[in-house]
Amino acid sequence: MGSVKNMVRGSIFTAIYVVTTIVIPLATFTLLFDLVVQGLPLDFEQQDYNNIVFWIVAFGLLISGNAFITFSSPKQSIRRAIFALIQVFVNCLYLWSYKFSGAAVLSFIIVDFGVMTLNVQQMILMYMGLYFLTIILKVYDIFDFTINRKKIRENRMKE
Amino acid sequence: MIYQTIEALQILADIIGSILLFLRPILIPIGDWMVGWIAIGMEFLRNNFGTSYSFYIIICVILVVSGIFVNVIWPGDRKGSIFSKSIDKIEVIEEKGEVSGEKDIIDEIKRCKDCGNPIGDSEICPLCGARN
Repeated sequence: MGSVKNMVRGSIFTAIYVVTTIVIPLATFTLLFDLVVQGLPLDFEQQDYNNIVFWIVAFGLLISGNAFITFSSPKQSIRRAIFALIQVFVNCLYLWSYKFSGAAVLSFIIVDFGVMTLNVQQMILMYMGLYFLTIILKVYDIFDFTINRKKIRENRMKE
Repeated sequence: MIYQTIEALQILADIIGSILLFLRPILIPIGDWMVGWIAIGMEFLRNNFGTSYSFYIIICVILVVSGIFVNVIWPGDRKGSIFSKSIDKIEVIEEKGEVSGEKDIIDEIKRCKDCGNPIGDSEICPLCGARN
């Protein structure tokens, strides 16, 4: 019974990650791609758009797959802690793929008007610094769950 | 802008902004280091797996399938369904072995009829002096 419950939880979180890491970003970028401001169309460069879409889908798949194994694992288990750490690393790559794909410095060409540039590189750098704290937390979790393994298992069996 | 019209949100944004500005000298170098290894990882992926989705789909499928298998075998809230049976059997055999072995040894020890003290090969109990 526990395994079914775990897998249902994993599937729910996988679906959430598919929506938040693939569907919503794809829809947003597609909307931006076709956006028209006051009658003037905003133009992404086609190559940038293709790059962004590729990396969003690629890392979205990795994150979603990883989310399944993370969230289907029992609470406070070592395997959950390990895959949560991997998830953070993949999240870092996913986030940076925006920059790599050119999304940290977005340039919109407004036809007959000019170019608008949106630079969020400093913000991403700062976010990465904050994300490092998450890595520390996950590493701590691994140590914690390993050291207190017996106690955690006993408590889990009682439930 | 919504932040400028609602005063509470403006205050909250100011507080978060000031915390981040305070932490900026620490966070930016860490972020810079993070960017270093991420850039290397991204470069590797771009050079080797930057054209097709197949690699990412395969990894995703492997993760999901292995997740299912691992959960069936080790669900976490009870002992695993496949390997634990054999482990249980081993434990039962070991317990039986230990118990029967212990009994055999205990049975073999010669004891005094009066006080129950182990007397070995002796005819007289060293503790109570009774003749056996």
